[in-house]
Amino acid sequence: MENSLNEQLKKIIIEELNLEDIEASEIKDDDPLFGDEGLGLDSLDAVELVVLIQKHFQVEIKDMEEGRVALASISSLVDFINRHKEA
Amino acid sequence: MTEKIPHNSENWSSRSVGANWQHRFFYLLIRLGGRHIAYPFLYPVVLYYLIFRPDQRLKSRYYLNLRFPGRTGFAAFKDSYRMIMNLSRSLVDRALVGICGPEILKTEFPKGDELFNLAATGQGLIILTTHVGCWQAAMIYLSKLKRPVHMLMQQDAGDIDRHYFEHSGEENPFHIIDPTGFLGGTVEMVAALKQGDVVCIMGDRLKGSQENSLAVDFLGAPVKFPLAAWKLAAVTGAPLAILFPLKTGPDSYRIDLAEVIEVDRKDARPLERLRPYLNRYVKTLENLCAKEPYQFFNFYDMWSGKIESSE
Repeated sequence: MENSLNEQLKKIIIEELNLEDIEASEIKDDDPLFGDEGLGLDSLDAVELVVLIQKHFQVEIKDMEEGRVALASISSLVDFINRHKEA
Repeated sequence: MTEKIPHNSENWSSRSVGANWQHRFFYLLIRLGGRHIAYPFLYPVVLYYLIFRPDQRLKSRYYLNLRFPGRTGFAAFKDSYRMIMNLSRSLVDRALVGICGPEILKTEFPKGDELFNLAATGQGLIILTTHVGCWQAAMIYLSKLKRPVHMLMQQDAGDIDRHYFEHSGEENPFHIIDPTGFLGGTVEMVAALKQGDVVCIMGDRLKGSQENSLAVDFLGAPVKFPLAAWKLAAVTGAPLAILFPLKTGPDSYRIDLAEVIEVDRKDARPLERLRPYLNRYVKTLENLCAKEPYQFFNFYDMWSGKIESSE
């Protein structure tokens, strides 16, 4: 279940953020999403990602501290979605 | 001959050039006699900076050389004087509002209802601000909007220049979002807009990543403008209102709602698709600079950097 959510998230990020030359299988669950390492997303990508999470999973990232934890990697995003869906 | 401007001030800072005691002196003057006492003391201060601090005077030339090309000598000096004097008066006005209360300024807002209605729809509203006039005059109106207002605002460590609400010891009526925080505060801005709040963002000053910008010709030369506001408008569906609070007299201001722009969701990506919207803002800003050349407070080289104009 969790793995399928990981894969679903990766596909959403690749398709909706138009990431080129990268496959879902190449994204590691613990790779950083933002910054020079890992996926290399930036603050404007974050604008879209936050809205995408809300649209696809009906959970909201409301503030900076929540965002800092949730948007660290695919794993942390999955944790965040699972926790907030259960709540 | 045109004066040579040092290319060492492209890194803009919000820190005041005045010393702490100078600020306190003006606050005291305002408490004693308001604008009537404080304004005359601006003449020696402004003349000091114009004559004895050429480094400060020259900072006004980046903009003025493009706005008034070919002006030299006394005419150029006079332009710098008018611009620096206007900025100084707007700083006094800012303190005046905080110390004496907002009713001290006569502020008219001809299209105020339009802005209030936009905010009241609950679909979120982005107010695009610019370094023009005195924002404190507009803030009074913003506090009357029927939605919470968030401001993307950085105050440098050690900045002694106070915001208007700090004078009266009041709590800040607006929620401040720190642009130096995680991902430039974008997470908080999205959350605010999605819950129907108002977010104020400066549109004319690029801080942080140079990649999240587009170069557009402004006054005949390319400038990199930030895209965060436009991206937020595209992704959240919130309309974007361009406001200019202009000084119209010694104690009067007029807030111009220059334009309301809606950004289509499909234009969120790639960033190049935001260019037509950004062009509209820059054109509006150029029109303002044509009508009110000394109320655009630019004191750094926003045209710096080797930027290729795409136009």
